[in-house]
Amino acid sequence: MDGMTYLTVAYLGMIAGIAIWTWTVVNRSRTIEARLTAVESSMGIIASEADSISKEHKD
Amino acid sequence: MAGRSAEVLLGLGFAGIMTTLFLGFQWAPSVAIDAFESPAAQRIFYWHVPAAWAAFIAFAVLFTGSAMWFFKRSPLGWRLHVAGAEAGLACGLIAVWSGCVWGAAEWGTPWDWTDVRLNTFGLLTLLALFLVLGRQSQPDGVESRDTFSTFGLFGFVLVPFTYIATRIWEIRHPGPVVGAGDDGGSLSGDMAIVLFIGALSFTIFIIGHILISMRITSLEQRLEQALHHIDGGK
Repeated sequence: MDGMTYLTVAYLGMIAGIAIWTWTVVNRSRTIEARLTAVESSMGIIASEADSISKEHKD
Repeated sequence: MAGRSAEVLLGLGFAGIMTTLFLGFQWAPSVAIDAFESPAAQRIFYWHVPAAWAAFIAFAVLFTGSAMWFFKRSPLGWRLHVAGAEAGLACGLIAVWSGCVWGAAEWGTPWDWTDVRLNTFGLLTLLALFLVLGRQSQPDGVESRDTFSTFGLFGFVLVPFTYIATRIWEIRHPGPVVGAGDDGGSLSGDMAIVLFIGALSFTIFIIGHILISMRITSLEQRLEQALHHIDGGK
């Protein structure tokens, strides 16, 4: 392979990696936010008390 | 609001990363044709180095978060730990992938087990992979958080080791091209400008990613608590 082929393969791989990573993270954020809004709106849970593990084990 | 700020940072960072790619191909000068085995492949460097830089930022976030969780039981610390591991894995894989392709073009081999920087950086990326997959496969609890935080704390030792590796053992990896001391490194001015734009863009991009990941962890905890209530717990 010549240098330009290596260059193309490297950048296509990196572009795909960045695209998949970003799409996954943004999509996860929006999905979980929508699910949570639906559940919490009817339960009155306070966000600051949500991490029960750290709350139980805080010194 | 915070979520939107993170997405704006992501967008800005991504625009900068694509600008770096354009400048790297269209504006930055070519290297001397006899200086490299594969001069064209040298342009991989405009994303490879900033991705490795961003990975170091992510590992610093991982270390800080691990310490905050381990010593203070800080919920913020745990969110930093999770976000640092995920961002470190993504940027680490980008740097390793581009490095392997460049190695194949320039060295004739994608990996050299005798090159210290290559192997310590590979270990850091594997550590991030272990933390991301481990967290997904284990029930969330104080014991599992302590275990993963310990790996985050001790694994950080590899970061300064990786940074100084080419100053001590220059095997395959080139020596420092910026911040190399009195001679100012081996980069031309235009190359250094593109590299700087790349580093800045990847930094903004990874900050956006870290903020979104922290938000996802917080949302997951709230959702878990809500489901716990629905199941009849308190």
